[in-house]
This record gives sequence, C-alpha cells and structure tokens, in this order.
Amino acid sequence: MASKFLASPIRRFLAKAHRPSASWPRHLSTAAAAAEAASSVYEDPDAGIVMKGVRISGRPLYLDMQATSPLDPRVLDAMLPFYTARYGNPHSRTHLYGWESDLAVESARAQVAALVNASPKEIVFTSGATECNNISIKGVMHFYRDKKRHVITTQTEHKCVLDSCRHLQQEGFDITYLKVGSDGIIDLEQLRSSIRPDTGLVSVMAVNNEIGVIQPMEEIGKICKEFNVPFHTDAAQALGKIPVDVDKWNVSLMSLSGHKVYGPKGVGALYLRRRPRIRVEPQMNGGGQERGIRSGTVPTPLVVGMGAACELAMKEMEYDHKRVSSLQERLLNGIKEKIDGVVVNGSLEKRYPGNLNISFAYVEGESLLMGLKEVAVSSGSACTSASLEPSYVLRALGVEEDMAHTSIRYGIGRFTTEEEIDRAVELTVKQVEKLREMSPLYEMVKEGIDIKSIQWAQH
Amino acid sequence: MASAAAKSPTRLEVLSLFRSLLRTAHEFSDYNVREYTKRRTIDGFQSNRSLSDQQSISAAYANGKEQLAIVKRQAVIYSLYAPKVKSIMELKSV
Repeated sequence: MASKFLASPIRRFLAKAHRPSASWPRHLSTAAAAAEAASSVYEDPDAGIVMKGVRISGRPLYLDMQATSPLDPRVLDAMLPFYTARYGNPHSRTHLYGWESDLAVESARAQVAALVNASPKEIVFTSGATECNNISIKGVMHFYRDKKRHVITTQTEHKCVLDSCRHLQQEGFDITYLKVGSDGIIDLEQLRSSIRPDTGLVSVMAVNNEIGVIQPMEEIGKICKEFNVPFHTDAAQALGKIPVDVDKWNVSLMSLSGHKVYGPKGVGALYLRRRPRIRVEPQMNGGGQERGIRSGTVPTPLVVGMGAACELAMKEMEYDHKRVSSLQERLLNGIKEKIDGVVVNGSLEKRYPGNLNISFAYVEGESLLMGLKEVAVSSGSACTSASLEPSYVLRALGVEEDMAHTSIRYGIGRFTTEEEIDRAVELTVKQVEKLREMSPLYEMVKEGIDIKSIQWAQH
Repeated sequence: MASAAAKSPTRLEVLSLFRSLLRTAHEFSDYNVREYTKRRTIDGFQSNRSLSDQQSISAAYANGKEQLAIVKRQAVIYSLYAPKVKSIMELKSV
C-alpha cells in the first residue's frame, strides 16, 4: 500500500526530469513498478488523462448516445433502495423482502407496458435487447419449425439479429435479407413479394442504430397482418424517442433495451403479444420465471431502473424530441456552413433527430476520429468497430467505400447542451480542414481533376 | 390524497421552490446533469406558468417538491463518485 503513495510523486518527478524510458522502473521498488505497470490510466486534475497513449485535458464531451446513454439521476434514485435495504428476491413468496421486491417488479412492468401501449402481462424482462432478439428469432422459428421455414429480415439489422439468422440458416432455415434504398428505407413491394406460405417471421428494426432512419412500421405491420405473419421489431433505439404503439404497428414481438433510454445496463424487455398469442421456445431454461420464457432471478434494481426510465421517457418525450431536433439542426447547419463535401447518410426526413451520421469527403476516417479525441463520437456502430471493414449498414445503403470509411455518427440526447454542440462543430470543422489541407486528393479535386479517372500506379 | 388537503401554494412558496431547485442543481459535480437540471427547472416552471385551477397547481407544486428531494440526494451521490478530472466543457475557456 505504501508503495502506491510513493509511486505517484516519484513518477511525476521522473516525468519532469526526463522522458519515461525503460530505465525508470529501476528507481522504484519492484512492487511499485508492478503496480504502475499494471495501470495504464493516469488521471491527474492538473495533467488531465493519459490513456492508450493519448493525452486529453478533461473528460470528452459525450455525443455517442446510440452506443449507450448516461443514467438519469431520477432513475438512479429509484434503483438505489433496492441495492441497499430492499434486496429481496422477487420470487421469494414467504417474507416481506420477497413481497416488496415483487411489487416493485410488477410496477416496473406496468411502467414499461404503458410506454408501448401494451398490457403488463405481455412484458418479459430479459438481460438486454440482444437476448430479446435471440429469443424472438430463434425461439419463434424453433417453436414453429415443422410448418414455418422462412424468415425475412433486412440488410441493415443489428448484428445480433443477423447472427441469429445465420445460426438458423446453418440449421436449414431459409432467410431473405431485404435490400434497402439509398435512404435506408426498405421497399414495401419487395417485402410483399418475398412473403411465402411458410414465412414464420418478419424482423425489421424500428430505428436503425447506425444511421437513425425510421422504417415505415405501420405499413409493414399492415402487410404482415394481411399475410398473417408474425412481425418482430428491435425497438431498442426507438423506445422513448418516437411514439411506439404495438397495436398501431401490429407487432407480435418487440425487443426493448434499458440502457438506451437513460436506464441501467444489463436489462431489457421483450413484448410478446397475447391476442393472437405468439409462442416461443425459451432460450434460458430453469425455474419457469417470467412465464417460462426467461428463467432466472429477475434483477429487481435493474428492472426498477428500466421502469423508472420508461416512465420518465413517457413524460419527457415531447420536450426531449423538440430539443434534440433543434440541436441536430444546429449541428448540421454549423458544419455545413463552414465546410463542403458533407453527406448525411440515410434519409433526412424519416429519421430520428438524435442520430446524425455524416460522411466527410476527401478525409480519412481513422485520422478524423483520432483528431476528435475531445469529442466522444463513433464511426460505425460499437459492435462492428473491432474490424477494419467499413460498416455493413453503410455498404447496404450503397455508400462508396471511401465515404463509408469517413462516416462519423453523432448521438444527441437529453443531456446534450448547446455549448457541447457548438464545441463539437468547432472541433470537427478544424480537424476536417486540417486533414483536407494535407490531403493530395483534395488538392486534385480543387484543381478540377476527376478522382475516379486517376490511374493509380502499381508498385 | 394531497389534492384534497393541500391548499394552493403561495407565489412566495413557488418562487422559493424554484430558487432551491436551481441552487441545488448548481451543486452537481457532473456538467451535463447540472445543465440539464437547471434547464429543465426553468422550462418546467415556464410551461406551468399558465396553470389556473387549484388542483393542477397543487399537483405541480407537490411534484416540484419531490423533484427537489431527488435532486438533493443525487447531488450528494454524484459528488461522492465524481471523477478527479473535470469535463472538457468546464476546463477550456475558448
């Protein structure tokens, strides 16, 4: 313990004296050296943060609301009693701890159901939207495996939906991946013609997490009702942001996520229609909790948090929507005023305003992101960022490879301020101008040369 | 339960609630939450300005008092776990 107190001032002295090199660990005891070598984050109110070789003076401003959203303090306030005094298991029937926990879970269920215009009996709590998508796709198709062998989904779905479909494909089911237009919206006629007598499920996400476009849910619902095909939607990004109504949309299954509506991470809810009843095969077997659909102890604090977040979302939806729309306009106009060659990916009209995915021409994406280290944004979705491939969603939109690589996704939310938007505009414009100045391609474009006609020399 | 017994809050009480909310919002260590609380308080009181019947005024006042209690508790909790380094927005004066 004492070595940790010594390590910090010693290191600060050494850092001021000379560049930290392989020789400095010799000045410390082995224990301190091991402790410091283990931690690669160094936070100091004066020097800022050093992490992964990058130094920033303060915590970045957060514009990545589609990856996750900060916990609303009112939600935290609702959750804390269940982490401190009321820690009972909601399935314990014999004592007060269990009863009060159960009461809290049921009231949270009602709060979630109210936001989507469903009955509380139709909500099943899970560990997140990914689990909900797995239960919906694999569970439904496995249940009806004798009669139904076909699933229709889109090319721009979330990775977990596409992966579940691939798993089904390996089991012998047929999957149709609908193409999307350059605005990100599916073609309803193509959907209609893809439906076969043995189609067991249509899965289309309501609001896309990467580009933010809103699919025509009511029309898809009508088509599915006409052909009597169950309709599943991943509404994780849509919940609490646009009005979600299971009856208007005619959905049979809906995946909801807690941490996209300013709730806790690790909880989600699955809506399962009761009239007409949709049956699923459970993916988690056990004691039969949550109507046998999802066994396992229901995590009371997380579920209470999700319920509180949903109730807040219902109250604040209009206020937030107005504000986020005006912030999005401010961001887009601010950027477009200063630089050209800015393309918005996906339809601008049929879009949730809090998600702005822009491509900057003649700029390299990774270097743009590295330069924007004071703004927490993402390029492509968090799920696909491990590989170097451009996002499959942008490829499905027909965006060219070079534009797909330079796409940045700005996520605006309830807690974003005007000053943050202005700062983000300023930093983006500065970085793009700097990169374009260095770019030979941009020089050529300004001289009037058509880039596509260039013959690149082979080395 | 509250609407029958509570009488309509006086103008002074409403103003005092407003000031308390803004003062407690200022104590949040987190930049985004602090700005949101201030903004939401102002917008909330602004939109309820035109309320005329006693029941809705009492309900809004009671809601405001609840929110004040929540803000007080959460300001303490956020300050207990505040990171050592502040947000970029609070540091640089551009």
